[in-house]
Amino acid sequence: MDQNQNPAVKAPELLTVSPSPHAHRQVTTASVMKDVLIALLPATVWGIYLFGIRAALVVVLCVVFSVLFELLTQLVLRRPVTISDCSAAVTGLLLGLNLSPTVPFYVPVVGSAFAIIVVKQLFGGIGKNIMNPALAARVFLMMAWTGEMTVFPAAYDRVALSVDAVASATPLVSLKQGVLPDASLSELFFGQIGGCIGEISVLMLLVGGIYLLVRKVITWHIPVAFLGTVALLTFLFPQGDLPRLTFMLTSLCSGGLVLGAFFMATDYVTSPVTPAGRIIFGVGCGALVVFLRYFSGYNEGVSFAILIMNALVWYLDMCTKPRVFGKKRREKKA
Amino acid sequence: MLFGKECKTTVKFTFRGGTHLNEHKETATLPTVRLPEPRTVSIPLSQHIGAHATPTVAVGDKVLVGQVIGTVEQGLGCPVHASVSGTVKEIVTRHNAQGIPIQNIVIENDGERTLHPSVKPWGKPLAQTAPSEIIEIVRKAGISGLGGATFPTYAKLQSALGKVDTVIVNCAECEPYITANHRLLLERGETVITGLEIVMHALSVTEGIIAVEDNKPDAIALLQKAVGDNPNIRVCVVKTKYPQGDERQLIYAIKHREIPAGKLPADVGCVVINAETLSAISRAFYRGIPLVSRIVTVTGDCIKNPQNVRAPLGTPYSELIEFCGGLVKTPKKIVSGGPMMGQAQWDIHAPVTKGTSAILVFSEEYDRINTYHSACIHCGNCVTHCPMHLMPNYLAQYAQARRYDDAAKMNVMSCVECGTCTYNCPAGVQIVQYIRVAKGALRMKK
Ligand code: SF4
Ligand code: SF4
Repeated sequence: MDQNQNPAVKAPELLTVSPSPHAHRQVTTASVMKDVLIALLPATVWGIYLFGIRAALVVVLCVVFSVLFELLTQLVLRRPVTISDCSAAVTGLLLGLNLSPTVPFYVPVVGSAFAIIVVKQLFGGIGKNIMNPALAARVFLMMAWTGEMTVFPAAYDRVALSVDAVASATPLVSLKQGVLPDASLSELFFGQIGGCIGEISVLMLLVGGIYLLVRKVITWHIPVAFLGTVALLTFLFPQGDLPRLTFMLTSLCSGGLVLGAFFMATDYVTSPVTPAGRIIFGVGCGALVVFLRYFSGYNEGVSFAILIMNALVWYLDMCTKPRVFGKKRREKKA
Repeated sequence: MLFGKECKTTVKFTFRGGTHLNEHKETATLPTVRLPEPRTVSIPLSQHIGAHATPTVAVGDKVLVGQVIGTVEQGLGCPVHASVSGTVKEIVTRHNAQGIPIQNIVIENDGERTLHPSVKPWGKPLAQTAPSEIIEIVRKAGISGLGGATFPTYAKLQSALGKVDTVIVNCAECEPYITANHRLLLERGETVITGLEIVMHALSVTEGIIAVEDNKPDAIALLQKAVGDNPNIRVCVVKTKYPQGDERQLIYAIKHREIPAGKLPADVGCVVINAETLSAISRAFYRGIPLVSRIVTVTGDCIKNPQNVRAPLGTPYSELIEFCGGLVKTPKKIVSGGPMMGQAQWDIHAPVTKGTSAILVFSEEYDRINTYHSACIHCGNCVTHCPMHLMPNYLAQYAQARRYDDAAKMNVMSCVECGTCTYNCPAGVQIVQYIRVAKGALRMKK
């Protein structure tokens, strides 16, 4: 304000000359990533509430070590340090939410290292990786420590720091055998079941997903196509002789489906840029999830499904190029 | 037929892509003020594409307002007129914003504003004027597109002769900050309409559409009243979205005609003319005054009293800034035109030209939001917002890798450099700049 009383502000000798545009929307990579962190908060809090302090520790370890590994690799490789864009924190959080609260503490550390160093930085850093780092790490951990990764505590079973959890059958195991899980649909929806830290409460995940949609961080295409395909296929082909609708709803609310559809499949770097491409991507993810859940040895197929579709992103982009204004869709090459 | 379902004033017309910008149109409520006579003006002999004019006056000559001081003998181009009366002080070569050396005629203003005897109305009524005569009046008046692209208007009319069925008045003014057209519509809307009638007569067209963005309801109401029940002219409200003022998007929004790549509006039967240009045509026709002044929006966070100013061509920016209360913050960037497509200037004393629709003075704080850069994160914002439906992220990547032919295959040449992609990019990738590099390289190859 006091500058207003002084009209004699001088123009500097040199002005900045730069190409247009001279305006910019105030959205940055960092602000986008922070929005994702905020959107994951409800699910994280719920997971910690349900499984206790150990769940918190697993999540914190993932986040801290992801950021740390990003910093270290960038220092070693003499790349610009970009931990302030929060993308490593998002990867860490997503990884943590995809782990069982009972995993031994070296699992989050190794997982973070794999996600950040191998999948992200060795491919060239942010924007260059072809697979979702958190998912790739989860699959890697599943293979390396199958036992530890598939022991889930029951809900409200606040796991002590030293694990001695009683494994509870997850709903997906029941569904695979063609029977309904013990948990009721509402328990599944509100998240009063066992499972990975972040995937249990569909409600909390939806809250976060809607936040992302409202903030225009993600578009509806991938989640809707993904969940819609799963809904359709499970409705048409229920397993066992379960009622269609119940089977469909139970399938939708079980496992990492909602987490995957809203937070993993929509990862910018590893999803298509065109609306049409995003829909095909979502449909592909959904179809693969159902296929893997029905026919593969795994109970859960979300991670694999998304990773497989990740590999196709470039082709999907190229196949769904929008028609350029003023051009025919297929220009005859002279 | 022509007035069928294509355009009703109640429906808002638009196009796919584009983005809603932060408007910053605070100056829209303030009346346009006439700049007191500047001490000197420096008139560039080339203010737009086309041939440079050659001076027809010498140092020491007395010149009067409206007198021709530079002519173009052949090729595209129009004469240059003195914008003040006074004495030619010197003829110097200055570098313009692009760094191109251009001859400038510097006139010391005597403050009298004496009109040159050649300034007199075209005597005949419009109905008895032949199209070729109108085009000649427009050329002689030195009128070029005042929206910023500054294509000589007479050439535009000439190329449209016999080809078009619609004249569209561009009052979209989709760039943030600029309100020069908006104020013109409010203060002198009737001159826009008479200008439109002149152009419609010249092109023997019976359909004139005034396209205004819906963020100017006062101007829309006023125009609708002024148009009255004229059966040939109507006001069309288009959605406020950048780049609605681009000819391609405007024609598409209103007439649903898509200009094929590499073609001109005339090829789809339309001609698009900026509102202030029409006002200038009207003045040239009815009063004989050539284009010697224009409305400039002077604003930006460094300006004390942002407002619209009518200034003689050749007035130094610094004088306009001073007139608007001077600077309140140290400027970092001075932009001529809108923030999306305007030119950053290196010289605060640069002269106002036919293309200077605005002078934006931004401080360090404003500019800071432009300095964040990281790698492309593949978010797709640039793709969904591109009004030409390109994939700017891939174009930029190909350009970075110098794979210009791949960029050409993805239609890099269709880019209109509107800047929407860069504006929306969270990673701060200078997409348009990469695209310009690719386009330049491809042009060199040809
Ligand atoms: S500058 Fe070019 S690529 Fe970017 S949005 Fe505009 S037309 Fe599309
Ligand atoms: S907007 Fe920027 S970050 Fe997003 S895809 Fe385009 S270039 Fe990449």
